[in-house]
Amino acid sequence: MIVGMTIITVSILVTQITKNTFNKNNPNLDVVVGAKGSPLQLILSTIHHIDIPTGNISYKNALNIIKHPAIRSGTPISLGDNFQNFRIVGTSKNILKLYNANLKVGKVWEKPMQSIIGYNVANYTQLKMNKFFVGSHGLIDTGDVHAEQPYKVVGILNKTGTILDNLILTSLGSVWRLHSNETNSKTVNSNSKLEVTALLLKYKNKSSVFSFPRLINKNTNMQAASPSYEISKLFKLTGDAHMIVNYLSILIISLSFIGILFSLLNNINDRKYDLAILRTLGFTKRRVFSLILIEGMSISLLGSIFGIIIGCTTYISVQHFSLIGRNMISLQFDFVFNLFAVWLIVMVASFLTCLIPCIKVYKQNIRSILLNS
Amino acid sequence: MLICENLSFSIDGHKLFSNINLNIENQKDLLITGPSGIGKTTLLSILCGLQKPTEGKVLYDDINLYNLVENKIDYFRGDKLGIVFQNFNLINAFTIKQNLELAKTTQGSGDKNLYDLLQRVGLADKSHIKVSKLSVGEKQRLAVARAFIGNPKWIFCDEPTSSLDDKNAEIISQFIKDESIRCKASLILITHDKRVQSILNFSQTLKLGEEL
Repeated sequence: MIVGMTIITVSILVTQITKNTFNKNNPNLDVVVGAKGSPLQLILSTIHHIDIPTGNISYKNALNIIKHPAIRSGTPISLGDNFQNFRIVGTSKNILKLYNANLKVGKVWEKPMQSIIGYNVANYTQLKMNKFFVGSHGLIDTGDVHAEQPYKVVGILNKTGTILDNLILTSLGSVWRLHSNETNSKTVNSNSKLEVTALLLKYKNKSSVFSFPRLINKNTNMQAASPSYEISKLFKLTGDAHMIVNYLSILIISLSFIGILFSLLNNINDRKYDLAILRTLGFTKRRVFSLILIEGMSISLLGSIFGIIIGCTTYISVQHFSLIGRNMISLQFDFVFNLFAVWLIVMVASFLTCLIPCIKVYKQNIRSILLNS
Repeated sequence: MLICENLSFSIDGHKLFSNINLNIENQKDLLITGPSGIGKTTLLSILCGLQKPTEGKVLYDDINLYNLVENKIDYFRGDKLGIVFQNFNLINAFTIKQNLELAKTTQGSGDKNLYDLLQRVGLADKSHIKVSKLSVGEKQRLAVARAFIGNPKWIFCDEPTSSLDDKNAEIISQFIKDESIRCKASLILITHDKRVQSILNFSQTLKLGEEL
């Protein structure tokens, strides 16, 4: 029972919280334009920040796309570095509007190498206002740092419940400046040489949903990917795996029911004499029935509650200690209903299972048991 | 008042006894005797609501016992009857005290002192010992004490002194007598033990296999 409930709890938490996280991370973006490659990878890396980007695109081209008549707003982002595994994102100030983010303290960057940090970044890294830090090259902390050009924290964001909580935001200029040697670009200010990772776009109207991506995918060396489509495709892919895990946990729980049933039947068989004695002492049939039912239900209740506790603890530990877990939005309670519904089904099934031995006890002939004993 | 009308009992078509009529007034006692296998214990089970008779009625103060649903019979047994079984029917995994406390839950003895009860049957210093560790005689004394844990109105004892030495047989017989008087209960007792019969004065005797 404990194992089954643990697996089903983790499965529910992973499914529900992942879905919620993916939904919340996307601030109603219609399309993301980036370098050609896997569209899912593009979405995961630029909106959800859990994969590496497909490559870079020309900033000049990005500016042209933003000016396209079908586009209402565009936010360029540039990835490449991290601080203690929190990604440093070069972007425009428009990103704050996109996520409805407000500053808890400080101000938005004005100069290169100034940054604002998300709520979780502030908590995990202990970075404070006006402190300096150096970015590490790549998206995972490798120790290869840009020691020569530290960032300064000029603002800390309020909690948004989105991926922004786990990001360090700075100007595109800061990222370009830091990587000017690597790209061998002597002219940071020349748009033709500059690159960004992706463009986060919103359409003026939804009629562009088919035509715009086709335009980009056919006529440029870039790709346009729809976040909602890619994520639903991802869930379709992972849905089967979740289903298998769920079937497995149902099987384990069913086996535990059979275990409880046989354990109760054995107990009753071993204690049928004692139960008959209870009846001679005046315990009514109904009362003995209740005793067996309470015994069986107690096993199920304790088992299922322990399973849920272990499942939640496992999930919280993974969330706390893993990189992907950190990107999950914490303090979500949408799963509570699903978990409660599953628990209720388990309890009802348990009750029905326990009825079998209870009915057996109810039908016992105490006189013959006492005689045979 | 306990009235039995035309009680008969058959097993597999074989008649164990038939047409037993009894009329036991409140606080009057009945001694049941008869040869082994004649159905004394079965008759006691019928009177206690544990075995339905093939024919006949058992009436307790106008309550027809076997007209009640089984749950009510169980409740009636716990509330009004005190039973000492021939094979004691104690829960071996429980201690002496636990066995008495279990009986107390259905027989609502109120202020009855378990320690006092155990002292009178000579088991006070063994209250925390499991029944499985007791001797046969000690089990029998415990079974007798348990029958009086409540305030029963009818006491049924099946050979309550069969495993006791003379001294304990006398103590237990006196205990049964005193408790029956205190509870203002009627005593229905199966025994061949003359030691018991000399202490308890029975107003009626039913000799199974012979006429009343």
